[in-house]
Amino acid sequence: MGKVQVITDSTADIPKDLVEELGISIVPLKVHLGNESFLDSINITPAEFYQRLQQAEEMPTTSQPSPIDFVEVYREAAKDGETDILSIHLSSSLSGTFQSALLAQSMVEDEFKVTVIDSKTASFGIGMIVVEVARAAKEGKSLDECVAIAQRMIENHQVYFLVDTLEYLQKGGRIGKASALVGSLLNIKPILSINSEGEVCPKDKARGKNKATGRVFDLLKQDAPNGLERVAVLYSNNREEADTWVARIKDEFEMDQVYLAEIGPVIGAHAGPGTLAIISLPKES
Amino acid sequence: MEQIDAQLFLRMVRAGTDRLNNNVEQVNALNVFPVPDGDTGTNMNLTLTSGLEEMEKQAAADEVGKLAEALSKGLLMGARGNSGVILSQLFRGFGKGVAEYTQLTARQFADGLKQGMETAYKAVIKPVEGTVLTVAREAAEKGVAVSRQSDKLTDVMEAVLEQARVSLDRTPEQLPVLKQANVVDAGGQGLVLIYEGFLAALTGEEVVSPVAQPVNKAADLDRLSDIAHEQSAQSHFETGDIEHGYCTEFIVKLDPAKVEKTPFSEENFREDMGRFGDSLLVVADDDLVKIHIHAEYPGEAMTYAQQYGELTRIKIDNMREQHSTILESEGEKESPAPTDAKPYGLVAVAVGDGVAEIFRSLGVDSVIQGGQTMNPSTEEIVQAVKNLHAEHILVLPNNKNIIMSAEQVGNLVDVPVTVLPTRTIPQGLAALLSFNAEEEPEVNRDRMMSSAHGVQSGEVTYAVRDSQYDGGEIEEGDYLGIWDGNISVAGKTLTDVSRDLLTQMVSDEADVVTILYGEDVMEDQLQEITRFLEQQFPDVECEIHYGGQPLYYFFFSVE
Repeated sequence: MGKVQVITDSTADIPKDLVEELGISIVPLKVHLGNESFLDSINITPAEFYQRLQQAEEMPTTSQPSPIDFVEVYREAAKDGETDILSIHLSSSLSGTFQSALLAQSMVEDEFKVTVIDSKTASFGIGMIVVEVARAAKEGKSLDECVAIAQRMIENHQVYFLVDTLEYLQKGGRIGKASALVGSLLNIKPILSINSEGEVCPKDKARGKNKATGRVFDLLKQDAPNGLERVAVLYSNNREEADTWVARIKDEFEMDQVYLAEIGPVIGAHAGPGTLAIISLPKES
Repeated sequence: MEQIDAQLFLRMVRAGTDRLNNNVEQVNALNVFPVPDGDTGTNMNLTLTSGLEEMEKQAAADEVGKLAEALSKGLLMGARGNSGVILSQLFRGFGKGVAEYTQLTARQFADGLKQGMETAYKAVIKPVEGTVLTVAREAAEKGVAVSRQSDKLTDVMEAVLEQARVSLDRTPEQLPVLKQANVVDAGGQGLVLIYEGFLAALTGEEVVSPVAQPVNKAADLDRLSDIAHEQSAQSHFETGDIEHGYCTEFIVKLDPAKVEKTPFSEENFREDMGRFGDSLLVVADDDLVKIHIHAEYPGEAMTYAQQYGELTRIKIDNMREQHSTILESEGEKESPAPTDAKPYGLVAVAVGDGVAEIFRSLGVDSVIQGGQTMNPSTEEIVQAVKNLHAEHILVLPNNKNIIMSAEQVGNLVDVPVTVLPTRTIPQGLAALLSFNAEEEPEVNRDRMMSSAHGVQSGEVTYAVRDSQYDGGEIEEGDYLGIWDGNISVAGKTLTDVSRDLLTQMVSDEADVVTILYGEDVMEDQLQEITRFLEQQFPDVECEIHYGGQPLYYFFFSVE
């Protein structure tokens, strides 16, 4: 067979220009505010979402794409009969999206083959992997080579994030092992991560944002004694803070290129506004 | 040859306790800092009282060794504050030294004091001269020397006491903080008082009646019941044929009008109450009489008591019912379902309901109320530890005067205990942030203490007497700002002192200031401090919580 088509879902939070440049197909999740439903980043932009969130009285909810949504995208990609389909999705510990994709895969298995991968990560953690794989696909790498790239990155990438409040993670049921941090009367900034099972877990705690940021950079350095291969800064409704993180990474790690990605409505509904994250892929020795 | 027999030894300890008890305030006044701080006199007194209580249970023993062992046990459990712990060690060593003796010669007594002193020195990690340790050492050495020349008990005890006084007077020369505050060492003074009691008992000048001590005036009903039941257990209380079926407890609030008609006499009252049942205990204080009795007709006992005033806190249990329940449950008894022990149990000492709530919110399982003015005893910490079902216990004393009593806990419980020597509330809170249940105790200890040392602790309180500090004179009633244990500001208004203290504490690197305000802080005072922080340090995050602590207006944590 010929070229590899990479498919992901909207929670990969890949900036639009990259999506277009690399021809990545995206299946949207849905976000619900009150009685209204939106297709993630399609008929509601992150900016609109965070603005409405401020006025909303209820917590937002989200829902995974149906298997049919996936089937349609898979059929479209398989139309020419020469394409290998590689579908990479949001951690199965956080969402039923991967499950939906697997169902879709079984629904089309008599017609063509789809390879579905659980990224065990979220947001541009998925995005960075998908972008890398899509580049390889564009260069003409085989499906096996693309899968190998994805697997290596899933294993090696690191996620650290700071949330303004744990409320969104808790109420949305995605708090995982960080639940022990809820209920503290002191304002504690937890430094969160996503573990190898794809669940949210606490990495450390600090008083105040400055201390927490310092701790994130310490962890980043610990993880990457040989420097960074790829790195991204993610934000929700706090671009200025993200810019200072990007500048700091460029300075401290001598990186020319730092991805900057805005956390979309679905992930934003669970992390809350004011979240900052770093996704990194340390250089291997 | 003159010897100390069991009864004489008991009288000595009674007299020593009595002497200390009557002079608690004098010892408290010797605290180096003029702050309402861990009161040495109170701590020593409560510790010694606990020791004596344990001895009184063995009052019939005819061996000195037995009594000394009981004293040692009671002291160890009741140890409060550093001075209490040292006192407990002095008599633990003494108890070991005389364990085999039925009676003591002057020489054996002096050797016991010396052994006690040696034990205490070993128990203190960094012994400081010019403290109770020095007083105990020099006095014991003198006692040993004199006991080689004279076998007269009073000769030896007089020499011990005289040397103790001389050593005490010298403590300001050895310890600059004492000289600056113009006081002698408080713990040393406490020991001198105890020795004075010993000597008075030896010469027969002072005889303290045994009833005065064991049941403290403040003894509450629960304790009363414990004491009564313990006594009945000792006298072979046959639960099988219970004659007086109702365990009855109540308090009579003496009514002046009624007492005028029927004058109240504790002795007559006790005698009269005895008609209604057994296991009787009566404790009277100025206007309250607490009663514990096992009676068959509790109503009669209460009707009798009512002639002196109103009844309150009435509690009646049917003991036959209890008895059969106990038998039943013993019959069916299976080992209790083993629930999985948590990897860690966290115990913290803190004062103030708000502060306790914050500690709990950070994962502490048991908060013992205590702190500056009330150091919890080793026993209280032991009880808290025993109530937790955990593989390893971490204790955060959060006060420098509680660290030592906390460190005794490990010897008294089966579960491994690690004491994190946190000296302040802010240190305790900072340490908790670095706790990780999945790490080994050593790793947690190191990380938590490193966090504790990364925070600046400030306290605002008031002076309980005139004094001086590096910055000048302090008058009684002045507000004091204390930074990491040292007085760094004194002044006439709460807000000025608080502002000055914060200005000193908040450095360029500070990110977060946490304020825990005490029960006596007014809303406008709090607002003034907050406004000041916002204006003066706009880059610093400021967090304010109700702490509810008495005597200390503010705890500040800067990190």
